[in-house]
Amino acid sequence: MSDWLGMSAPPRAPRPELKAQVLARASQRRSGRRSGPWLAAAAVLLLVAGGGGASWAYRRLGVLEGDRARLVAELQAARDSLSYLVGTTSRVIQIPVSTNGRVGAVTIFADSSKHRWLVRCEGLAPNARGQAYQLWFLTDKGVRSAAVMAMDTDTPMVLALDMPRDSSRVMGAAMSVEVRQGSAEPKGPMVFQLNL
Amino acid sequence: MRRLKSHDELALGELYELYAPWVFGLALRILQDEGEAEEVLSDVFVQVWDHIGQHDARRGPLAPWVLSIARNRALDMLRRRRRWWRKAERWERARTAEAGDELAAPNPAEAAVPGWPVHQEVHRALAALPEEQRRVVLLAYFEGLTHSEIARRTGQPLGTVKTRLRIAQTKLAEALQHVKDWMA
Repeated sequence: MSDWLGMSAPPRAPRPELKAQVLARASQRRSGRRSGPWLAAAAVLLLVAGGGGASWAYRRLGVLEGDRARLVAELQAARDSLSYLVGTTSRVIQIPVSTNGRVGAVTIFADSSKHRWLVRCEGLAPNARGQAYQLWFLTDKGVRSAAVMAMDTDTPMVLALDMPRDSSRVMGAAMSVEVRQGSAEPKGPMVFQLNL
Repeated sequence: MRRLKSHDELALGELYELYAPWVFGLALRILQDEGEAEEVLSDVFVQVWDHIGQHDARRGPLAPWVLSIARNRALDMLRRRRRWWRKAERWERARTAEAGDELAAPNPAEAAVPGWPVHQEVHRALAALPEEQRRVVLLAYFEGLTHSEIARRTGQPLGTVKTRLRIAQTKLAEALQHVKDWMA
């Protein structure tokens, strides 16, 4: 699309007080970012100071290498999760749900550029024996199973999902209670249904 | 640009003065809702401020880059809007009202906005397109419709829509190639 087409819309001056709010918001984010390296440097300093002598550090090297690999993996995962929040192509949808009289929420972080969803379920009642929650994509070509989530405790659950790779367009999502191994199509009671 | 890239906050204020009416106008044109357009305006300047280092002046002026961010943000919001159908009706009414008004005389307050000559150039380029090409361009740009959706909306074959868009884009690119950013 032509780069300049946006200029065809008539200009409209926003409310004057908006300028200060916008600039303050931009500035806050920037200062928040600036403090990042300092915090990281302080953390490294504390780590080194707390590490003790060189011989101890040498003995601990193997352990730290393992820790480092784990932290890198965790950081990678955290960055991946964060990309759902800050990405320009991502959106957040929170769906309040009620299961067995308990009020909880399913939060979907949808990234349209990566074609992935990050789904967080919290406050859902644990499944009865032999049952599981099943998440569905509602597409223009029908209902597709997205994931089967057996919840035996009330611990929040987070999972990443790939959206359908074929040409179907995801138009909504739903969750139902199904048999433990999952169903080919929704048969059990619906927890929520959402049109995007 | 240098001041922006070195995160001079005064430069951001100046950029806001120059581009905010255009960003807000574009968001409002797409969303037809002042509250949502203000949200887009805020998001756009935060994003520009965060990612100004990614703008490559050799690849194009700043204004189209900023407006493309605004358009993407506004279209994202349009798509996720739950009250879509109710507002779509309002949008349709507004669009119909605007249809014959594309080259109307400028409001004196609008004409004083920096960048107004570029606005006129873009309108001239759009007005020079045949109606059927202009319609597919506007549906693609302001509603973010895919080729297939445009084909369904206009009742035209998909191939015709693609051809019209391609021809229209070529014509617009030629007509606007001389346009320069108004920010010094």
